[in-house]
Amino acid sequence: MSILDYNGAAIMAMKGKDCVAIAADRRFGVQAQTVSMDFDKIFEMGPHLYIGLPGLATDVQTVSQRLNFRLKMYELRENRKIKPKTFMSMVSNLLYERRFGPYFVEPVIAGLDPKTFQPFIASMDLIGCPMITDDFVVSGTCSEQMYGMCESLWEPNLEPEDLFETISQALMNAFDRDAVSGWGAVVYIIEKDKVTKRLLKTRMD
Amino acid sequence: MATSMISKNREQAFMSNLTPDWLKTELTTGTTIAAVEFDGGVVIGADSRTTSGAYIANRVTDKLTKITDKIYCCRSGSAADTQAVADVVKYQLNFYQMEMGEEPLVQTAAHTFKELCYDHRDNISAGIIVAGWDKKEGGQVFAVPLGGMVIRQPFAIGGSGSTYLYGYVDSQFKKNMTKEECLPFVANALSLAMNRDGSSGGIIRLAAITKDGVERVNLTGNQLPKFYEDH
Repeated sequence: MSILDYNGAAIMAMKGKDCVAIAADRRFGVQAQTVSMDFDKIFEMGPHLYIGLPGLATDVQTVSQRLNFRLKMYELRENRKIKPKTFMSMVSNLLYERRFGPYFVEPVIAGLDPKTFQPFIASMDLIGCPMITDDFVVSGTCSEQMYGMCESLWEPNLEPEDLFETISQALMNAFDRDAVSGWGAVVYIIEKDKVTKRLLKTRMD
Repeated sequence: MATSMISKNREQAFMSNLTPDWLKTELTTGTTIAAVEFDGGVVIGADSRTTSGAYIANRVTDKLTKITDKIYCCRSGSAADTQAVADVVKYQLNFYQMEMGEEPLVQTAAHTFKELCYDHRDNISAGIIVAGWDKKEGGQVFAVPLGGMVIRQPFAIGGSGSTYLYGYVDSQFKKNMTKEECLPFVANALSLAMNRDGSSGGIIRLAAITKDGVERVNLTGNQLPKFYEDH
């Protein structure tokens, strides 16, 4: 089993009409054993900026803490909120610094521009190669399943309520085919004026 | 020459990172299985998940396999190995039944499993629970774990999920339970294991075997026993 499969995770983000959604499972496990079902893998980095971190749990925590530090320093120096694309480059830099002894996380970023509220989603590999898309991004132990679900369910310009249904179904049906992710799910819908966080009732197996 | 080029490419594709893990890993019934005796028969149960690494290849597997009309086995370990062994035992017991003119005993089935599992212990991975009813001894449960021993037990648990159940079954088992008490005992145990073990999940398949035959029940979705859940 690879190190990226040790704890297990499933995270995806989707673009909608003037909104983005990011969703993740809530399992924390050690190989086949599930230890807890309330482990958060999505972190708020700004009022309209979220990062999801699947992979080795210790690195999930360390990367989010170190990233938070860098972000706070940026905000102090620049005296403004960071743009999602710039944040993506910040994450990429943090990961590439460890090119030959990497953090075992493959982040997913979702947010709205702080000024124009343009939706933005991106993902990255464990050494920081960024990928910006216009539809959806996935990362985790069931990425193949998630690609299949997103490819079939996603359509452009979904309203926030429809985007919620789409991302929930895509995530749940993907991680129901993965033995090391699932056990609960959380979905964030990020719009210009509000962020809605919902917990999904899922299979607990 | 064209054929050798094709097979070389397939080998390279297999060895490279392009083929996903779940095409390269053996199928295992990761599993939780359980069986319990009562006066007049046995109740057996299993989850329904087959995995290939972390990929769930089948989420509605039937791990309760018929050996004879009144003897079933619960399979855990390698899917291929347990299917192959069960097929051989089924064949041998069918032959035995034709020769002897009567139903085989549960202990005969269990020992037939043992012969195969012990003799091929280095080459197969099979953890089996044999359970059924015969007219000599009534309901019986025999465990045939990895090395190929046989042991009769009032109740038996097996598979990767069973590690989470030892405390539960030791505290909840009572002697002289009725069929109606055995069914929730097994269902609760399986549900608890499915909640914690990544290799177990899906639906709960139960079967009650008595002199009158086999009654099969599936517990799906909301019918699964619920325990502590955060939300």
